[in-house]
Amino acid sequence: MNPGIDSLLRTIGPYNGAPNEYNYEFAKQQLRSSKILVIGAGGLGCEILKNLALTGFTDIHIIDMDSIDLSNLNRQFLFRKEDINKSKAEVAARFVKSRVKNRFLKIVPYYGRIQDKPVEYYQQFSCIICGLDSVEARRWINATVVAMVGPAMENLVPIIDGGTEGFRGQSRVIIPTVTSCYECTLHMLTPKVTYPVCTIANTPRLPEHCIEWASELAWGQKFSVKFDADNEQHVDWVFEQAQARGRQFHIGGITRSLTLGVVKSIIPSIASTNAIIAASCCNEAFKILTDNNGHLDNYMMYSGDDSVFTYTFEAAKNPGCPVCGTQTKTVRCQNWWTLETFISEMRTMPELQVKNPSLSTAGTKLYFAAPPSLYEATKQNLCKRVKDLVSEDDEIAITDSSLPISLRVKLEFEGPESEPANIDVLVS
Amino acid sequence: MTATKEKSNKYDRQLRLWATSGQSRLEDCHVCLVNATSTGSEVLKNLVLPGIGDFTIVDDSVTTDADVANNFFMTRTDTGRPRSEAMCKYLGELNQDSNGHFVTRPLHSLEDGFWSQFNIVVITDYVASERLIQIKDLLFELEIPLLLVNTVGYYGTVHLITKEVTVIDTHANNLYDLRVDKPWPELLEYAHSFNWDALDDTDHAHIPSVVILINALENWRSHHESPAPRNTNEKKEFRRLVSLMARNMDFETNFIEAIETISRAYRRTSVSSELHQLFNNPKVPGETVGNDTPLFWVLIKALKQFVDVSQQIPLSGSLPDMASDTKNYVRLQRLYREKADKDKRELVEATKILLKRDLTSSELDSVSVFCKNIQTLHVAEGSGNLSSPELIESLVKESSNGFEDSNSNANTLAIYYGLLTFNEFINEVHRVPCPHDLEVFTQLFTKKFKVDHSEISTSIMNTFKEILCHNTTNYINTASLIGGIASQEVLKLCTSQYIPLDNMLVFDGIRSISNRYKIS
Repeated sequence: MNPGIDSLLRTIGPYNGAPNEYNYEFAKQQLRSSKILVIGAGGLGCEILKNLALTGFTDIHIIDMDSIDLSNLNRQFLFRKEDINKSKAEVAARFVKSRVKNRFLKIVPYYGRIQDKPVEYYQQFSCIICGLDSVEARRWINATVVAMVGPAMENLVPIIDGGTEGFRGQSRVIIPTVTSCYECTLHMLTPKVTYPVCTIANTPRLPEHCIEWASELAWGQKFSVKFDADNEQHVDWVFEQAQARGRQFHIGGITRSLTLGVVKSIIPSIASTNAIIAASCCNEAFKILTDNNGHLDNYMMYSGDDSVFTYTFEAAKNPGCPVCGTQTKTVRCQNWWTLETFISEMRTMPELQVKNPSLSTAGTKLYFAAPPSLYEATKQNLCKRVKDLVSEDDEIAITDSSLPISLRVKLEFEGPESEPANIDVLVS
Repeated sequence: MTATKEKSNKYDRQLRLWATSGQSRLEDCHVCLVNATSTGSEVLKNLVLPGIGDFTIVDDSVTTDADVANNFFMTRTDTGRPRSEAMCKYLGELNQDSNGHFVTRPLHSLEDGFWSQFNIVVITDYVASERLIQIKDLLFELEIPLLLVNTVGYYGTVHLITKEVTVIDTHANNLYDLRVDKPWPELLEYAHSFNWDALDDTDHAHIPSVVILINALENWRSHHESPAPRNTNEKKEFRRLVSLMARNMDFETNFIEAIETISRAYRRTSVSSELHQLFNNPKVPGETVGNDTPLFWVLIKALKQFVDVSQQIPLSGSLPDMASDTKNYVRLQRLYREKADKDKRELVEATKILLKRDLTSSELDSVSVFCKNIQTLHVAEGSGNLSSPELIESLVKESSNGFEDSNSNANTLAIYYGLLTFNEFINEVHRVPCPHDLEVFTQLFTKKFKVDHSEISTSIMNTFKEILCHNTTNYINTASLIGGIASQEVLKLCTSQYIPLDNMLVFDGIRSISNRYKIS
């Protein structure tokens, strides 16, 4: 074994909270036998693989659905220019295997979606480390792993989740059903910037308004195919249209780079921050699996843009969490809202974050986005007032293509009974 | 794909942080790493990837199996070859835009002149040997920033040693400078140009909130002695005044916005005390500006002259988005921009007079960035010391309080001194200290930092025990984390953007916490 790692494991430090339970042989065995799943082979994933392999873990699995792009090479150090368009998971696994000479080291890549794998697949791991950039994938894996936990706490797989943005990031440890889960703290995410349709359509002021106009409104009027932000030609067309609109309204500062940033919601990313957060995640995995020291309980925020600052705290469990909570979540609904208004409001609620939801109560199907037959059967409810469809006692189940579970909510009605007259002004 | 386009695609995710200005400074940078350790390779990896111009690795030892086991940028075929050469080769593969060099000569054989070629130096596993102390002091005199980066077990420290750090482009949260309380003539004229009663409902709901606040404040002043609402009652009255200007406070988003941003009317346009302090800084040149005066201080001098005349700082010119139609918003934006341009031209003129020459295009860019960031300029003065009496005092005092709280500072300070002592031990005994060395280790600490043995609390002792017990200097997770933090510092210093560490950070990987200290 690596002498440095051996020196860590051989002795118990004064801060180990349960020294009598610590066992050197067990800790060594854990390095050899723990099966670790890494989700994401991007900026964080590359770092995580390197760290796990150098620490001496030998049974590593890695999933990523993406292929390598030129813009990854400023941080994803396991990839070279020749690897562009190849599977991230496969290239990363092969590179680490060839660099780290450990005959026991096994890295199994999977080039595909996490949703492709059954629950049994996730049950085999000792620990899951996530280096993802998508809220949707995190919610999915979180809900899946929390749901796996049995009544006698069997199938308990800790999740260690990392995330970065520019010089900032966070790492957290989720012990399913014991600590808060990803869904518990969904409201902590900064909401995605959205612009009112009226501003985009009628009163643009910022370059972003012109870009949204081109990609959301003008594109749909001109083409029948869906706008694809990964298609160079699509982006070029949107960029030209946005510039033209900018000229018409005397709005400057519309660049191709900004256009790409807006249509792809690009998050700035650098190697340094990924290294910091990935190392924190792997350090926690090492402590959890070997018991060599206590682990993070349960959230560390890092910021390096204004000096260096970390904030470590225990993110509290949310009793109303639809994934691990026991109470039903309450959502406020205006008395006058139609089902259609309610659904569009739900999309921007930070604690829900749904895309195209279907809703039902115990007795009735309120609205189904799919399949077409159910959509036809329920679409007439869209223009009805929510208040006339359900009562405050009803529990509403919300399902969404982006979620593996259904969100259960109760409503609390408030506000005016009928739609305020001057609503146009309000939304502009 | 053209070379330029390929480059902007490759670096897209970082250009969104520091733009082409930061990137070209990074590409002009030459960083030096002393000691080809695991931590060192992590630092350089994060600098080669974003395209630092040059890196040089100084290390005279040869690669061993233990090195390879903890370093991703060495392989077994390198054992017996110089460590610096191996690391340089594998790091170089990460990015062809970055030029790698290595030096295998021992430190004592490198002349003082060798060091002046670098923009920044990183020393990992810093041991206070005679030669390294000389190099540290030399770099301090040369004003070349030095980062000392140490890791032991779960612990790590990063210490930035430099005489002075000044940053213009701090990316700090800037308060909008809107001048609601002191509109310049053109802005006031525009604010007066609305015929409120004649506007239809749509246009009325599109009057920009800044215009609403300027008019409301003017109205308020005609009934009051003070220039702006000060206490709770006056503020309450002012809010009422604003809401009375609306036709429908429930639906006119511009008026709702005016209430939400009402503090913009309370804000007094004045020159902050921080700026006055900067004006009095001894670094500000007198009547004669030398060729070697840093541009930052020349600009502060020019700013002081500007403030002396106008009692205001140059306008930044940025305007937040606000509920409005395009016509009024664009008009308002132009007013802010034109005033900002005028102020900037005055500052440029003042700078030219001070320098007695025209400004280069890069200096002109700096003035533009300067004008946008006057409220958030960063200046920090550093020292060349590794320890200070104040720090020792707080180590002893806080530990003796029996502070075993998980977020107490005492323990992280003990980590810092523990790591200094760890390296002192290596310097004197020529090996890494082990748990059975605790007594010698503690004696070394008391001798070196002039602390009485009775002042060593249990909490300090436990931290020392932890350091001796988990005494590896290349646990990859600590190396990568601390190396990552150090590389962020190098990036901030190279690009002259964002705010660097001031000046020492301790990370505790057992509790996953960190603390900052200023060593004066």
